[in-house]
Amino acid sequence: MPARVRLQRMLPSIASVALVAFVMLVLFGPIVLLAVLSFDKATIIALDWQGFTTQWYREMWANTNLRAAVLNSVVVAAIVTVISMVAGTMAAFAITRFRFHGRAAVAGLVGAPLVVPWLMIGVGAAIFFFHYNVPGLFPLSLHSVTAVQVACTFPLVTAVVAARLARFEGVQEEAAIDLGASRLQVLRHIILPQLTPALGAAAIFAFSWSFNNFEIDFFVGGYDQTFPVWVYSELRRAPNLPIINASSTLISFVQVLMVVVAWRLLRGHDDEDGSSVVDALP
Amino acid sequence: MTAAAQPSKQRWKRMQRGMTPWWLLSAPLVILGVLFVAPLLTLFLIGFQHNSLLQVGGWTLDNFRTIFQTQSYRHIAVTTAEIATATMLVQLAFGLPLAYVLAFKAGRWELPLILLLVLADELNPIVRIYAYRVVLGREGIINKALEAVGLVDPNHPISWLLFDNFAVVVVLSTSYITYTVIPIYASMKAIDHSLIEAATDLGAGWLRRAWKIILPLSAPGIFIAIILVYIPLYTEFATPTLVGGTGSYMLGQLNAELITETGDLGQGAALSALLLAASGVLAAVAYYLSRLNRLDT
Repeated sequence: MPARVRLQRMLPSIASVALVAFVMLVLFGPIVLLAVLSFDKATIIALDWQGFTTQWYREMWANTNLRAAVLNSVVVAAIVTVISMVAGTMAAFAITRFRFHGRAAVAGLVGAPLVVPWLMIGVGAAIFFFHYNVPGLFPLSLHSVTAVQVACTFPLVTAVVAARLARFEGVQEEAAIDLGASRLQVLRHIILPQLTPALGAAAIFAFSWSFNNFEIDFFVGGYDQTFPVWVYSELRRAPNLPIINASSTLISFVQVLMVVVAWRLLRGHDDEDGSSVVDALP
Repeated sequence: MTAAAQPSKQRWKRMQRGMTPWWLLSAPLVILGVLFVAPLLTLFLIGFQHNSLLQVGGWTLDNFRTIFQTQSYRHIAVTTAEIATATMLVQLAFGLPLAYVLAFKAGRWELPLILLLVLADELNPIVRIYAYRVVLGREGIINKALEAVGLVDPNHPISWLLFDNFAVVVVLSTSYITYTVIPIYASMKAIDHSLIEAATDLGAGWLRRAWKIILPLSAPGIFIAIILVYIPLYTEFATPTLVGGTGSYMLGQLNAELITETGDLGQGAALSALLLAASGVLAAVAYYLSRLNRLDT
């Protein structure tokens, strides 16, 4: 084959690889750069490596504001995840296992927080709590953040779990009941084993959504700082670069691990084409 | 007679009777009612009242009137529309071919690449924004690299990379790319391969195949992507605050400022209510168009 023809045949795949490589570079290059810089002795951004150090990680650990902010984020995310799992799974069962009047409307309402931008929910909630002086939620604090985040996060759990529930419709449950299983036995032996991977993945995504939810934290948090709000306010004031590099690297590393685990859970018991993963995407 | 011998349908029905869907829905609906619907309704309620530091209470259209009549607000709205539209176009320019590659060309790389896209979305947004400051700034890695090879004078680094519209569009494009690519990928994945093969057999080139088959059939995914991405772009405020400049001041920033700094809750609520109503209309139009398209094909 002449070289020109061979090149022409290969051109599309070269273009594909180039496109994918470029997008991935733009998406992850900056984060990888942060990780590298977090171990560099230099306090300003520089191309030449000034030497390896873990100093920024020690300073990060010594920073009480940062530690408090991360702890706030983790506690809020943990509580939000637990409540969202319960409420989200309840809604998923109601929507997939029952036919009733208003089902479409309910499904639409539960899905709405996934589409309405968090800015409006945050602004609305802040004004609502303030204006009606809602007890427990005003003055604004981590309590109000947790409450509003539940409303933003449990629909995600509903989406993931409902996608899974829809895949094994009621056939097996009916069969089990025909064979004399009680309602609890059906739940324990039929539904839970099939649902566990989706539940695990949903929990991880819920935690991640809550942890990352800057808009709600910002508008509804009052004087309480979470990790995203801490980074935001640090960046607006004197930029404390190395310590932000270090904390961002650490947080990103944990998030990478979590996403990989969620991915394995969703794929583990599943078909090979991964369509369930796509179904379950937020 | 044992329980198992009962006709199954009857027993199935009886088991469901005790557990109505509304019992299951009680907690989710209460949560949504108090923490989602009520706050959004409050936006409209407070938007129609005097609620600045100067005057509280009383129904009025003043907030909306001010928003529409203030020259600088109109300017901000135009800037926001420009940035949102530019960002959406950039994302489609990269997202459409990327979705195509994922759906048809990636082979065993397909799932790992989707995992990476999901991962990109799960990283903390503020961390991501900050990372681009490190790359694009006057002291950033791009300028340093260009100085090192002598393309840029160290005393005059390229300044338009950061704190300008360019950085806002770049960072927003990367923030939303997952939500652009995945729906388009999913609808491309559903295209019947024989259609493409038939077109190839009949001599259609790749451009013709893309234009006549793949693009029309993936239209529902494109519309979903636009709903998921284009609407929230109008409410962005963290990105333009952290990487934008005075020329890229957006509606989301104005909204945040009205609430947290000016303390004009009435105007802040009115602006949010307007954005909410506009996004509802836009979503309805996009939904209608995608349905229309599905019927055609």
